[in-house]
Amino acid sequence: MDVLSQLQRQLADFLASLYREGFVDDQFTQLQKLQDESSPDFVMEVVSLFFEDCEKLVNNMAKVLEQQVVDFKQVDSHVHQLKGSSSSIGAARIRNVCIAFKTFCEGQNREGCLRCLQQVNHEHAQLKANLQSLFTLERQIVAAGGSVPAMQ
Amino acid sequence: MATLQRVASSLSTSASSYGSCKDAGADVTVSDQFPAGLRVLVVDDDITCLRLLEKMLCRCLYHDGTDTTNRERGFYREGVTTCSQATAALKLLRERKGYFDVVLSDVHMPDMDGFKLLELVGLEMDLPVIMMSADGRTSAVMRGIRHGACDYLIKPIREEELKNIWQHVIRKKWNENKEQEHSGSFEDNDCYKQGNDDIENASSVNEGGEEGVLKGQKKRNIAKEEDDNELENDDPSASKKPRVVWSVELHQQFVCAVNQLGIDSTIFNDPLFLIARKLSLRVTVSFAQRNFLATISEAVPKRILELMNVPGLTRENVASHLQKFRLYLKRLSGVAQQGGISNTFCGLMDSNVKVNPFGRFDIQTLDASGQIPPQTLAALHAELFGRPTGSLVTTVDQPALLQASMQGLKCIPVEHGVAFGQPLVKCQSNISKHFPRNVISFEDVASGFGAWPSNSVGTVGPSSNLGGMNGQNSNMLMDILQQQKQQQQSQQQSPLSEPSRSINVQPSCLVVPSQSSATFQAGNSPASVDHNCSYNRSAMIDYSLLSPQLNNSSLNIGQISNGDLKTTGVSGYSGSVSITPLSPCSVNPDNTSQQGRSSTMAIQVGRQLPGFVPNISNFQGSYSAKSSEVLDQRPLRNLGFVGKCTSIPSRLAVDEFESTMSNLDHEKIYMDISGNKVKQEPSIEFVDNARVGIPILQQLPPSPSDLMSVFTE
Repeated sequence: MDVLSQLQRQLADFLASLYREGFVDDQFTQLQKLQDESSPDFVMEVVSLFFEDCEKLVNNMAKVLEQQVVDFKQVDSHVHQLKGSSSSIGAARIRNVCIAFKTFCEGQNREGCLRCLQQVNHEHAQLKANLQSLFTLERQIVAAGGSVPAMQ
Repeated sequence: MATLQRVASSLSTSASSYGSCKDAGADVTVSDQFPAGLRVLVVDDDITCLRLLEKMLCRCLYHDGTDTTNRERGFYREGVTTCSQATAALKLLRERKGYFDVVLSDVHMPDMDGFKLLELVGLEMDLPVIMMSADGRTSAVMRGIRHGACDYLIKPIREEELKNIWQHVIRKKWNENKEQEHSGSFEDNDCYKQGNDDIENASSVNEGGEEGVLKGQKKRNIAKEEDDNELENDDPSASKKPRVVWSVELHQQFVCAVNQLGIDSTIFNDPLFLIARKLSLRVTVSFAQRNFLATISEAVPKRILELMNVPGLTRENVASHLQKFRLYLKRLSGVAQQGGISNTFCGLMDSNVKVNPFGRFDIQTLDASGQIPPQTLAALHAELFGRPTGSLVTTVDQPALLQASMQGLKCIPVEHGVAFGQPLVKCQSNISKHFPRNVISFEDVASGFGAWPSNSVGTVGPSSNLGGMNGQNSNMLMDILQQQKQQQQSQQQSPLSEPSRSINVQPSCLVVPSQSSATFQAGNSPASVDHNCSYNRSAMIDYSLLSPQLNNSSLNIGQISNGDLKTTGVSGYSGSVSITPLSPCSVNPDNTSQQGRSSTMAIQVGRQLPGFVPNISNFQGSYSAKSSEVLDQRPLRNLGFVGKCTSIPSRLAVDEFESTMSNLDHEKIYMDISGNKVKQEPSIEFVDNARVGIPILQQLPPSPSDLMSVFTE
């Protein structure tokens, strides 16, 4: 098996595992579909945007949760946004955490919120690493002369 | 006539172009594709989502997924524009009104609540707004609906969902059009503006010459202004049908459109026509007019709406306005009858005029004084315009407009002889010989509108548009009528108040200040001044013939000749229709010269008015003098002319009208009579009348009751 095929297989498997483990969902597929000749790095671009956004939100939420008196409305607002963006790119796990997060916010449960925040952080890091690997693989494939296979 | 037809065809051409004009999002022929060219504004504080949506929308729009290069917030780009801040988005929308077709907005935004943005957009721009949110709870969606969102998308949003947003654009537009107009026609602002330009161009072309151009320009300016006004008026209440205010300009456009369409039916509602009939005057319908009637397309609200080309105006608005207009005309005829308007028309009324074949109106309902009670007039106005009847004090609302109109008149090339380019009123027999002279002088006056030539014998003051009667008008009318009566009784010509300028004439209620230029362009307000009569110019009903801007170049010069009665009315173009009472006061059959004059006066020659000319003029024979009372020598009350009653010197009878006219500027004239050539031959005319009259006859039977109703209102 030549390098290209190998890489492509590797990519496919990797991607499949991401889906399987719930790191990404169908929305991610949509995202990938949007990538085309006019925007070859679209997925990477959007994902990068998301990660930036996510970090910002997490930092904000941490600040708010650290307060003596927690403004849960604000936290909720942040969570809401995070939920929106994560679902938009298909970051399924993060989105799920956000759902729980929201419940805690509504319940004004600081502990619960903090726990969720931690989880968000964790998921964020994981997804970032995974997608980095994905992109690397894709780059390698392209470098090897192949094209990134479209996801089913 | 030919001109008219040409105009009509050009108009219809432009009108038909409306159909082809389509909004980017309105291209309903694109069935399975996202309409290209749809301009979307996306507002979301989430940059990730914003980018995603932008990409998805671009793919929808261009099918090739061409990525937008628009990464800057709020950067204009064809297709999709993104904004991460609601305030910036609002600014964008305001700056470029009409640019965007649809707005996609997130609900949750830090600087402004998405629903607030939704409301603002709906109010100010009346655009379809689609809300987006990660919150998919029913309550949230409900909230979106309550705030008026066209749709509510739950994140994550898929491309397929975006593919369909064009439906909201179309639906909204259709609903706006369909609200009253069930035609399902599709028009948008672009179409309106385009159409408007077309009309204007046609107008210029038709008029040919500075007159037309000038008027076209003025119309354009006014129309655009009107459009803006209408747009502004409509926007605030985007969620509900805005109440249309029928301003003078708007009404002018309406009348113009009606004229252009040649309102078949409305011709018979032409005040002059109706009045003449009621006065049992012999009315001659010019040959041209007859042909015109035969060839005219219907003036249905939809067509009127198209011609008016006013954004935001709905067919329903036009329909209801048209209905009122017709009622107005009807009432006008009743009023005229009462007020001795007959005098106006005929100049010289002969009580022996034979009975109007069209039927006689029972004028028993006339009150003792023969005047229209103010209340009636006021009520009439109120009914017509839905405005509260005003006090009796009438003031010219828009002297400026009048002035402008007058100025416009100046620009009108004076055409001697032929009625301002239109077949003129042909005075009957004895009058005819006087006519040319009168006509000329008339024109002189008209042309020199700004400065009323004092020697404009037989000239008709600037015709102001008989406008929508409103409270004011009604009052004015009353004044005029009263004045008329007084003068009539005095049986002497009162010195004409200074001719010219006096644009202080109180606008008659009938006068519609046509758009400035137009209003007085008619200038030819028929100076139905009968020198012999102490005709109060206020009694003039001016159908200004102007409105060159309107392409209706046909000039309807009518003559009401009844034996000695010669009334020539040249119907001016919408708005500028002034029926100057012809020698309202005395019917003096023997005074041919005067008759000539009066008939001349009655000629509202507008020059080629694009508008229609009241075809009342030139009715011959068809009407029979109802009875002496009809022709009672009361001065013809101005149908809506308010003018300060000034005595008019015999030779300046016209001037009197002029001044009257001046005040008429802002009055709306509900004359939607197509100008027609006045035919000279009585016999034929008579025949025409017969033909024409019949429908009227059929229409009018209720008139007596109309009168009654007028009184009872």
